[in-house]
Amino acid sequence: MTAESDSSFQNLAAATRNLFASVRRLHDQSKILQPVPLEQHEWFESLRQKLIPQLGEDAWLVAAVVGGTNIGKSVTFNHLAGNQASATSPLASGTKHPVCLVPDRFAERHDLRQVFPDFRLHEWTEAASALQESDQHELYWRSTTQLPASLLVLDTPDIDSDARVNWVRADAVRRSADVLIAVLTQQKYNDAAVKEFFRKAATEDKAVMIVFNQCLLPDDEQYWPIWLSTFCQETGIQPVAVYLAPADRRAADSLELPFYERPWPLPDDWKAPPPDDKAYRRNLSDDLARLKFREVRVRTLKGSLRHLINRSDGVPAWLGRLSATSDELASASERLSSEAVLKIRDWPTPPNSSFVGEIRIWWKSRQQGWSRRINSVYDGIGTGITWPFRIARNALQGEPISAIDKYREREWSAVLTTVEELFDKLQWLAESGNRLVKPQIERVLKAKSRSELITSLKQRHQQIDFESELSDVVDEQMNAFREDSPDMFSFYRQLHNVSAAVRPVTSVVLFSLGFGPAGETVAPFVADAAASAVVHVVADVAGGATAAVAGEAAVSGAAGTGVGMLQAWFHRLHGAFTSRRVEWLTQLIRDELLGTLPEEFQTAASLKQSDAFREVERILDELRLLLDASPGTSGDAGTEEVNV
Amino acid sequence: MSDADLEHIALLAEVDVLVGALGRWVDDCPSWNTARQCRALVKRLLARVETLRFRLETPLVVATYGGTGTGKSSLVNALVGREIAEVGRQRPTTTTPTLLIHPDIDQDSLGLDLNPFLIRTVEAPLLRDIVLVDCPDPDTSEAATAGSNLAMLRSIIPHCDVLLYVSTQQKYRNDRIVTELGDVASGCRLVFVQTHADSDTDIRDDWQRCLQPGFDVPEMYFVDSVRALAEQQEGRLPSGDFRSLLRMLSDQLGTSRRVEIRRANLIDLLHEALTRCRSTYDSALPAVTELQETLDQQRTQIRETLTTQLCDELLVNRNLWERRLLSAVTDAWGFSPFSAVLRFYNGLGAFIASLTFFRARTSAQMAIVGAVQGARWARSRAKAQEAEASLERVAAFGIRDQHLQESRMVVSGHLHSSGIDREEHDDRRDLTVLRKHAAGLEGEFLNDARRAIDEVIEELAERNCGWMTRTWYEVLFLSYMAFLLGRVGYNFFWSSFLGPVLGFTDNPEQLLKIEFYVPALLFLVIWSAVLVTSFTWKLRRGLVSRVRRFAESMAASRLVHGLFPSLETTCQAIQSDSDQLNELLQQTRTFRREIADDSSFLGSRRTDSLTEAGSAPRTETS
Repeated sequence: MTAESDSSFQNLAAATRNLFASVRRLHDQSKILQPVPLEQHEWFESLRQKLIPQLGEDAWLVAAVVGGTNIGKSVTFNHLAGNQASATSPLASGTKHPVCLVPDRFAERHDLRQVFPDFRLHEWTEAASALQESDQHELYWRSTTQLPASLLVLDTPDIDSDARVNWVRADAVRRSADVLIAVLTQQKYNDAAVKEFFRKAATEDKAVMIVFNQCLLPDDEQYWPIWLSTFCQETGIQPVAVYLAPADRRAADSLELPFYERPWPLPDDWKAPPPDDKAYRRNLSDDLARLKFREVRVRTLKGSLRHLINRSDGVPAWLGRLSATSDELASASERLSSEAVLKIRDWPTPPNSSFVGEIRIWWKSRQQGWSRRINSVYDGIGTGITWPFRIARNALQGEPISAIDKYREREWSAVLTTVEELFDKLQWLAESGNRLVKPQIERVLKAKSRSELITSLKQRHQQIDFESELSDVVDEQMNAFREDSPDMFSFYRQLHNVSAAVRPVTSVVLFSLGFGPAGETVAPFVADAAASAVVHVVADVAGGATAAVAGEAAVSGAAGTGVGMLQAWFHRLHGAFTSRRVEWLTQLIRDELLGTLPEEFQTAASLKQSDAFREVERILDELRLLLDASPGTSGDAGTEEVNV
Repeated sequence: MSDADLEHIALLAEVDVLVGALGRWVDDCPSWNTARQCRALVKRLLARVETLRFRLETPLVVATYGGTGTGKSSLVNALVGREIAEVGRQRPTTTTPTLLIHPDIDQDSLGLDLNPFLIRTVEAPLLRDIVLVDCPDPDTSEAATAGSNLAMLRSIIPHCDVLLYVSTQQKYRNDRIVTELGDVASGCRLVFVQTHADSDTDIRDDWQRCLQPGFDVPEMYFVDSVRALAEQQEGRLPSGDFRSLLRMLSDQLGTSRRVEIRRANLIDLLHEALTRCRSTYDSALPAVTELQETLDQQRTQIRETLTTQLCDELLVNRNLWERRLLSAVTDAWGFSPFSAVLRFYNGLGAFIASLTFFRARTSAQMAIVGAVQGARWARSRAKAQEAEASLERVAAFGIRDQHLQESRMVVSGHLHSSGIDREEHDDRRDLTVLRKHAAGLEGEFLNDARRAIDEVIEELAERNCGWMTRTWYEVLFLSYMAFLLGRVGYNFFWSSFLGPVLGFTDNPEQLLKIEFYVPALLFLVIWSAVLVTSFTWKLRRGLVSRVRRFAESMAASRLVHGLFPSLETTCQAIQSDSDQLNELLQQTRTFRREIADDSSFLGSRRTDSLTEAGSAPRTETS
């Protein structure tokens, strides 16, 4: 290996770190698409557990003994260690946590926690601790001088027992490992769980040494080639070495189990040697130590990288699924939101008399000098004259309900209708929406949220001071009007005529999913708000549509005069008030019910355009280039890289 | 017919009763999603039960179950004492299930589809009573694709009555095998066998510990099949645990035990299905209960609204009270001068009020007016008008549209989360139906109110017209009348006629003129008015406190229906359905417990926390 390839590995390391970060960001953004958790993707775990800690570091080799329960993993490991480092047990699923042999002073030079990110590390004290059950992933490590300076050897929990947490630990060890010492038996070499485990190892291009344990020698000499070829065929593994170990419990217990090496693939003229032929007997740890560390390491790192950028089950596949889901959501949302537009045709308008009253008050506050005095005198006289009549009426009919209270009542009805319609639409969305839309909306539709929303709406609605709402609107609109038009006085004079002729019909349109208007819906009114807002409100104030349109023109044109123009302006007053009220409602619905759901929908539906998505794509391309450019990419890092 | 036969038939009848009850439960389904789901499950099961009952008396089907390489085929060979099933060291060895059957047994009588099996007729003593099936393994296939060992296994196991669960030191904790067993083992008795006794350590204790949470494990056998086969071929009896296994199989699975074992399987199946239904119900029921609570709450709320409103209006309509009270009193008094005055006053009032009647639409007025007059009032209007008016009244009486709308929204939320079917006629925009229900509610409420008001009036009237009061008022009224009559009589008979004639007075008085009668009448009217007013005032005394008490009693009373009567019915139906499920479950459980010790030699899957302690093995049956 040259310095050049070292730098190419540094580049790869930087790229993978970027990838790691942006993949997680993208995943966070796509929450609403209900993606499979990242931790369940093989590529992500190998990115996290292998590539991030190991890429760009100096070479060390991780070898792990793996296999099903009760087939002698720990026995094999102890033979590697040369002592009873890992406890053995006749009961299945004994080893619950990995045990790691670490070369002397390795722990001083490296942070073991980064090497094994998922485990809580403990220094080894006794062999039995790995047998203790616990929910945490523990790893017991022990320094040894017997191992080469950069070789870590692990004993792992099983990969097939009903204690599934063992699988998780074994998988984590597998990903970090470069060399797997696969312990197989005739009972288990073809088990589904075992095959599945080693198939993953094969895609990551691990170097695999196979130990057939508990063989009946010499009877099984004729069978093991069949077992092995089935195993290799099913998993895609090309072993770098094959050993047979006899079923000899006493030898196993006293660490004297012989391992006989066998060639693979079998030469044509292969003849099984007699049992206990010393020529084939090997010391496993010596064989391990003779592995070309650097080559094996480069091979497995690249294997993991290739797996990462693999189109069928790597990041590209993940991206593809995300964008497909996003498209699915987008098309579903588009289809749904065109149906889910909510129109309230008869939003109540406050009585004209209230407006007139407010305008009078506004007018009065702006008069000065004698005209103000005269006005108040007239007002005083008027009040004085009507006083007895009012008293009489109140006595006869009771205090009349004020116009504002009536409006409050009517508006509450409209609010209720709106909310009910909204729930109907949401329910419809949930029923006809796809698997992505449905659960999100179902969450909103819960019974509790409904009664809570009504209670809180009711409470807030009762607290609204409509008088001040009205006067705010009048103030704002009249100020604008005064600037626009010189015709103030004639407006005031004709206030009664003007207001009498205005019978506004206000309709309100809400886009429940936040996807904006679909097609023809009242386009001019929403043009500005459509792009971003959550729930859109259209106050289409019209005393007949034409009047409104003509009125708009009349109001804005300076030439407009006369009653028609004033009426149009009065319409605008109504419109301003209504949109204010509907905005209030919308805001409440948003705060109390929908939350950020519509935005989340939009973000998720346009995921492909998001920065995070593009970033991931870019890094992927970069990785691909880097990997192609780096030397020794051809996948045939087979047996020849191992010194035997 | 022997006692045993009778007992046997009785047992079958009990199963029939249970299955019948289950069938009825399935047919009577409330319109609730969860109920339907559960019924679909039970229905499927009942179909399977039917086939089980059909083959109740055919030989038991005993199948091997276990991981590849655990020695299933070896065990089968050892059991029949000769090499029938293929044994090997390549995995998997067995890919076609082999069915071992005695030549004397009619294959068609088994009621099995024999196509997937390789059939071997073997004349072994064990096979006289049972059929042995050597199954493929569940753990070499990664998925149950068509033709895979796993798929095959899954299609066979439901037809088996007893499973020989074979495992080894290496395989006993294999996840796939244990999980799969959990899925298929319901409705099967289990026999646990650890093989490879020649080379492996005895792990039965640990195995049992692992199985304990999910299975009843009475006994486990640790056998060496190879040796047992060899021993038999040498003409010896097999030794060790194998002998007891063989003995147990031939003893416990004989003809006499068939029905018991199948019945136990069947009950297990039913029990498991019902337990599952129960847990589904348990997770779905809270939403229904919540809905019911909401409905109750709304009912209470409506009643309170109605009561408050009624109470207010009752106090406002004083003159209506007065008239009712007066007529009650005059009815009680019969004819007398003062009651005539009262009656006249009341009649005059009624005449004026009858004009207002046609405007008197508030429910409270209706209530005070009382049943008789109310009916007259109602008759005087066209039916359509009345319907309209009653709807109007609802609005006037505190149940406003907004209120209805709110209720509907809240209820529909609960409806949605509880999974109860929406009613078809439930048009969401239209409040008419709800208004009708509200009017009905109000009518019900007012009927109660009317009765109560009648009582109040009677009570008030009674309290205020004792003979003392009556005498007192009669005397006061009559004293003026007496004075008037005396004065007129004195003038007419004496001072203007008899006095002068008899010479007692010198100048005869003139006859009383109009100047006298007008004031006299006037004073009569005034006097009557004073008396009547004071009397009605007395009548009305305590009215306020009485009305308040009345309102309290109304508030305490219960409305029978709410705004959503059909929904309430559905909720009740669901609750009673759930009770029924409980009953069925209880029945099955009892049944299961009763027969539990009958198959104590055989293990089974636990379907709930119910523990069945394996009792002492029974030696001989029949």
